[in-house]
Amino acid sequence: MIVIGNAENRRTAGLQEARKLLGLAPAVVVPYLDLLRGSKSLSEAAERGGMLGRSGGRPLLRLDAPGEHFEVERELIMLGAPDAARERDADRLHPAGDRSDPQPMSVRAAAALVEQRGRLYHPSQWFRGYSRLLARLEREAEALWPAPRWMNAPADIADMFDKRRTHEVLTTAGVPVPRLLASPDEIPDYETLHETMIKKRLHRIFLKLATGSGACGVVAYQINPRTGAELAVTTVGFDSFIAKPPQYYNALKLRRYTEQAAIRPIMNWLLKHGAHAEQWVAKAGYGDRTFDIRQLVIGGEACHSVARVSRTPITNLHLRSERMSLDELQLSQGVQDQVKSCAEGALAAFPGSSVAGIDVLIGRGSQQPYVVDVNPFGDLLYNVTYHGMDAYAWQMKRLGFER
Amino acid sequence: MTEVKLSIGYDEYEEGKKMQDMLEELANGPAAKELTSLIIGDWGGAYENDSSEIVETLVRLNGQFPGLRKLFIGDMDFEECEVSWILQSNLAPLLTAYPELVSLTIKGSSQLELDPARHEKLEELVIICGGLGEDVIASIHGGQFPRLKKLELYMGVDDYGFDGDLDTILPLIEPDKFPALTYLGLKNSEIQDEIAIALAQAPILDQLHTLDLSMGTLSDKGAEALLGSERVKKLQFLNLSHHYMSDVMISRLQQSGLHVDVSEQQESDDDYRYPALTE
Repeated sequence: MIVIGNAENRRTAGLQEARKLLGLAPAVVVPYLDLLRGSKSLSEAAERGGMLGRSGGRPLLRLDAPGEHFEVERELIMLGAPDAARERDADRLHPAGDRSDPQPMSVRAAAALVEQRGRLYHPSQWFRGYSRLLARLEREAEALWPAPRWMNAPADIADMFDKRRTHEVLTTAGVPVPRLLASPDEIPDYETLHETMIKKRLHRIFLKLATGSGACGVVAYQINPRTGAELAVTTVGFDSFIAKPPQYYNALKLRRYTEQAAIRPIMNWLLKHGAHAEQWVAKAGYGDRTFDIRQLVIGGEACHSVARVSRTPITNLHLRSERMSLDELQLSQGVQDQVKSCAEGALAAFPGSSVAGIDVLIGRGSQQPYVVDVNPFGDLLYNVTYHGMDAYAWQMKRLGFER
Repeated sequence: MTEVKLSIGYDEYEEGKKMQDMLEELANGPAAKELTSLIIGDWGGAYENDSSEIVETLVRLNGQFPGLRKLFIGDMDFEECEVSWILQSNLAPLLTAYPELVSLTIKGSSQLELDPARHEKLEELVIICGGLGEDVIASIHGGQFPRLKKLELYMGVDDYGFDGDLDTILPLIEPDKFPALTYLGLKNSEIQDEIAIALAQAPILDQLHTLDLSMGTLSDKGAEALLGSERVKKLQFLNLSHHYMSDVMISRLQQSGLHVDVSEQQESDDDYRYPALTE
């Protein structure tokens, strides 16, 4: 098995641990940073692991999260630059590849970025870089093996990473999703967003950075058609400067904005980088809190799950939500089964993929499940077991028996 | 006890479903006679339609609900409507139309009125909001609730409707105002310290078993006054949950012999202190 990920992190460690537990040889790890800097490649790793040729078999290939690593982020922004050296059809996996990124940075400018914790450097160019890397890996694997065994195909990862595209794929597949406010082309800026919400009488929406993960770039936004008041709840913040454009960042806590002077620039910035706007479906409650569910699906089957119970509309775990099991929430078996089949349907919409963390909410009143996010790297769940195994061990058992 | 909660989701609302019709249906159904508790949740677009038609309907249908003792108008949360955006109306006609009512809970204070505030048998009055207006507070202390045991008012903040000050609140704690009162909650306030200091020596404490000053901006200043009061010592329960007291003050309270809730200590952000519900 080959894992492309950030070395020395908890995901890679968790996976190696699981392989050891099952008596499998450790996976060969190809760090993103080495891959991006050209010091390692997929073929070099395959050779190192003796995974080439007739005797080498077809190793399992796993792409893991590239996040939480500044240097990798910087390299990806460089790779996404308009002047970056790139292959033919480099943007072919980018679901909105022909859309131009706002205020692009040259390779040189990107290389000069220094780490500022929480800062959102350039999400759209970062994603362009990542989808270029995915395209490169897809091609490289095809040259090494007749039918590469990706746990999640690079093309699917690009689609899952783009919330606009994910919504489209799920809609086509008949998986229940909150209704779309409008296609991204129809809402280029704050003013049209506002008008569209009034016109369609969708006064409560989630606007999500198309290529963000977790709570990053997510805004729970509502407008009051009677008073004109508006409210945005989000982790996004920004600093203004006199001599340069504002810098946007992810705060550790949720903020509530009620002033247009703050809301407008945030919404405009998200929309420029590409954002997905959908109905804010009222989530079912638990006491005076609400929740949604991260449901892991592995090899077509729903397995590990955790509910995220929160006092805020954004439920991500680092925002002080409480983890609970579905049984603790006293969800009926019928609803639990619906959540599972809904999540399984979501993964099935990406036929080249066998692992994803699906975020499912249960509509208040209707008890109807809706898929609100598909996370290609959503298998990092602490202290949750299924048939006595953690998520990594379970997927290795289900998928990773070979080499 | 039979309890029914009625609410209207976004889709139903957009399809034209009305709370008045649901109430009619309930009133004409088999459960009406048995109904003791009715909870009105989101009545559909509660940020653009006020509660007046619900009040009118309930008043008109009062004969159908002979057993109704508990009423909650506006049970919805941030997934449905911001508290400060919930449009209420004058709810006093409900008090007149349901003389046997024992408990009334109201959520949301925008356009809320309670005039005339009088009820011979009401034992519980709770108003949950981000900011309670001076006029509503005035109606309550100017009103008549001879049997009221529990009064729980979220005072809130200036930005969301609290347009009064300590002097607005003080008349509520005059000794003979609510002769049966045993639970007093003047909570979720941005002037929680002032309220605590004013209450610490107030004679009304002698009739209470619970004083609820939770969810507000209470700091050591207010807590010091409470600790120094003989009257507070006689309370059965003091609720100070969600506060800005120091660790030292928390342990002093814990060791004081008081039965006190000091959970949910908050950290002040650049010296700003906020009540729990400010929306």
